Amino acid sequence: MLRTAHIAGLLLLLLTLGCREDPTGTDPIDEGTITGPSNPTPYVLEVPEYFPSPVVDPENPMSEEGVDLGRHLFYDASIFSTEGNMSCATCHKQELAFTDGFGRAIGVRGEPGPRSAMSLVNLAFNPNAFNWDGSEQKLWQQAIHPVENMLELDNDWQEVIRKLRNHEDYPARFRAAFGIDKVEEIDQELTVKALAQFERTIISADSKFDRVVYQNTEFFTEEEQLGADSLFFVENVPAGVLHPGCGHCHNAPQFGDNKFHNNGITDVETIYDFVDKGRGDITSNPFDNGKFRTPTLRNIALTAPYMHDGRFETLEEVIDEYAAGGHGVENEDPNITGFPISERQKRALIAFLHTFTDESLLENPEYTAPRE
Amino acid sequence: MDDDDVREVVEQELTVAFRAEYGGEPLRIQSEAYGYPTGDSLKMLLFQYYMSDLAIRDGSGREEYVINEIDLLRWNSANDDGTIERTYKVLLPEGEYGDLSFGLGVKPTLNAIDPNNFPADYVLNENEFWGAQTRYVFAKIEANALLEEDGRFDTGLTYHMGSDSLYTRISLQQPFTVRDGANSRITVVVDVLDALSKNGETLDITDPAKQAVHGGNQAVANGVWKRLSESFRLEVD
Repeated sequence: MLRTAHIAGLLLLLLTLGCREDPTGTDPIDEGTITGPSNPTPYVLEVPEYFPSPVVDPENPMSEEGVDLGRHLFYDASIFSTEGNMSCATCHKQELAFTDGFGRAIGVRGEPGPRSAMSLVNLAFNPNAFNWDGSEQKLWQQAIHPVENMLELDNDWQEVIRKLRNHEDYPARFRAAFGIDKVEEIDQELTVKALAQFERTIISADSKFDRVVYQNTEFFTEEEQLGADSLFFVENVPAGVLHPGCGHCHNAPQFGDNKFHNNGITDVETIYDFVDKGRGDITSNPFDNGKFRTPTLRNIALTAPYMHDGRFETLEEVIDEYAAGGHGVENEDPNITGFPISERQKRALIAFLHTFTDESLLENPEYTAPRE
Repeated sequence: MDDDDVREVVEQELTVAFRAEYGGEPLRIQSEAYGYPTGDSLKMLLFQYYMSDLAIRDGSGREEYVINEIDLLRWNSANDDGTIERTYKVLLPEGEYGDLSFGLGVKPTLNAIDPNNFPADYVLNENEFWGAQTRYVFAKIEANALLEEDGRFDTGLTYHMGSDSLYTRISLQQPFTVRDGANSRITVVVDVLDALSKNGETLDITDPAKQAVHGGNQAVANGVWKRLSESFRLEVD
């Protein structure tokens, strides 16, 4: 059973675009005029009933044509990189749950950036800004910076827009998606909004966890169940046992609270000593230094290496770090407490984490590179 | 009924300020090292509580007006002011009011609902629930304490509370006036220190068994909750 959402979004789309008209064909068409369909079809984002309804962005109502345009742009290396060798998909590979397998994302110059590429799944459910540090309030705003960042695509938007306007195919796609009449109307904002529309469709909701807990079609193995019960979902913590369970910050169904925490992985003397200040660079507040977004654990077995800078190669290393209990920095999340864990429990926890892998996501044809 | 008793119900603007304090001063997250009755000190990292069915009652005590069904008040950033303001537009007659009340926590009818029935950006979908499908954490107090003479605030204190049995209706009596066309303002005050230490009862934060409540450890939870619920007071500007 699927829940259909976005009624408000559809109405907004219709209100926004309903007043545009197709060219009549009787007026003279100047050089910048785009022809073709210009009535976007509202996109109905379908989500499982065990997910909440997604966040609606009234500034970017989704359409079938907008999602399709975004998908083309997402995979188009000829547009976004100066060398024509890199697109969004370079760092967000579908087979790796839209991450890249590197500790720190590798840019067009072959140099690593400061942080790892985040998974793009279930962004439609994030109400709390984007990126590791929450630097962008809107998903579509998030797509602006990577194009210009010298450690990412190292391009400039003027050049991107020039290519799009002169392209044989894109102007008609922009018209179909946004109802524009002139190539001059193709701009940065429409481009990133199309990208965001496609990214919002990337939903991961068919892992073994979902099939066991929500769909009731499978069962956990004994080992997976032990992992769930012993350390992940610890709802009733006895007195004196401090660890609240991974689910405290990584609760279902999204397995990430999208809030910003110092999760205790960096050993610094004071809060002023973080090399990457994370959230602190956004708020200009030193007490936010070293804080980063809690990412989703969906498909975590596929998204190594881990943390904002990829410092841990394996899930075992991550668990060992958390079990050690942080470094006593004053803004560390006090829920980072350390805990005893046996080798059996660790194997069980890792087995449970593997149940978050959504195999259908990895080959979903709606997310693959477009053929035409 | 006397015609004089019939008052016109019109849309009024009512601002309720929610002020969090520690020891009588506006709460500062992380930036302030607070003293504690055991002689230790702590820095607050998080204070939050859910509030259900915020309502005011007229001076006669006969009519109650619910002005908000559910909200979450949260202080978790050093940039946060000690006061969070909410302005409500509600249908009310102007006149004298004598009582503001609310449920501390998520009322049972909402507490029984799967959070996924709400939009991802709704106040009941803030990942503030015990399990994946139901039951909310009504209030959280989190701090890092300095318990040794090493200058490090490195002992976590985490008190997470919430269950239907803890849900508490709070009534604050204080006369205030709502006038047509004027933005009326009242302030709800709560002191975090009260929740930990009040009326001669002080939670021993040096005892590892009393440094965390996460579902279990309800003896500690009950004490913190009772003191918290008794701490609220109403101020009228």
